[in-house]
Amino acid sequence: MNVLYLEIGLRIAGLMLLGLVVANFVAAKHLQYAHNLAGSATMVRQIFYVHCAYIIAIVSALALLCLGWPELLHEEKMGRILSGFFGLFWASRVIVQLTYYDKEVRRQERAWDVFFLAIFALLSTVFTLAAIHQ
Amino acid sequence: MKELLQIGLLLGGYSLVALCIASFWIPKVLRWREKLSGLTPLMRELWWTYSIYVWSSHVFFAVLSLGFGGWLMEGSGSAMAMCTFMLLWWSVRLYLQFFGFDLSEVEPSFTNRVAKHLLTLLFLCLVILYASLLSWNAGWLPGGGFP
Repeated sequence: MNVLYLEIGLRIAGLMLLGLVVANFVAAKHLQYAHNLAGSATMVRQIFYVHCAYIIAIVSALALLCLGWPELLHEEKMGRILSGFFGLFWASRVIVQLTYYDKEVRRQERAWDVFFLAIFALLSTVFTLAAIHQ
Repeated sequence: MKELLQIGLLLGGYSLVALCIASFWIPKVLRWREKLSGLTPLMRELWWTYSIYVWSSHVFFAVLSLGFGGWLMEGSGSAMAMCTFMLLWWSVRLYLQFFGFDLSEVEPSFTNRVAKHLLTLLFLCLVILYASLLSWNAGWLPGGGFP
């Protein structure tokens, strides 16, 4: 695959990842995280927010790498390992959405469901291509 | 210095493997199922999904440290980026260990106290390890940097 196309793909993936970062904050409000967690144990609330923050940190760091230094994700061995991990990461996210998340909620939000499935599948494809690129 | 860092990577990697295995007991010890029962199904699903992704990141760090230590020390840009990320990851976790989590709901048994201190020690060692690796890759330590 042409390096130029791959790097354009990685930069587009970076923009998608930035969109996902924003979507996490929108989801927090839309799905009423604070309200839903209000009656739960302190530990549950804290762990939820910490894990949420770590996921946002992973996605933000990857977006930064894709937008600023896409060559690092396919030129060196270390970068290809990283891309391979994220290829699996996003592929597994598709599987989680299809098999684990509540079907009724997905049906109610069908447009968003399909949109995010497409985003996760595209991200998985781009990072897998970066991982196997020679 | 290089040999010392290689030993550090092995120890760090095996410690992460131990952490990943020990993580299977955390839901039971902290009675997650019981505590999550009051949440809506969607919030529970999100909770477990986030937890599993954070756990899988720890598995990835362990695989990197044990299987690809050479690449983590090759002085490349991606090695530096990865070491910086892992340094930030464990620094935040160490901060949370002291100032973030309210552990008053955890039963103050001897085992739980020992586990807490071991975790704190592990996070501290991981911060030192990845800070040293970053310094090595950046060429701030003798013999380090891009060859």
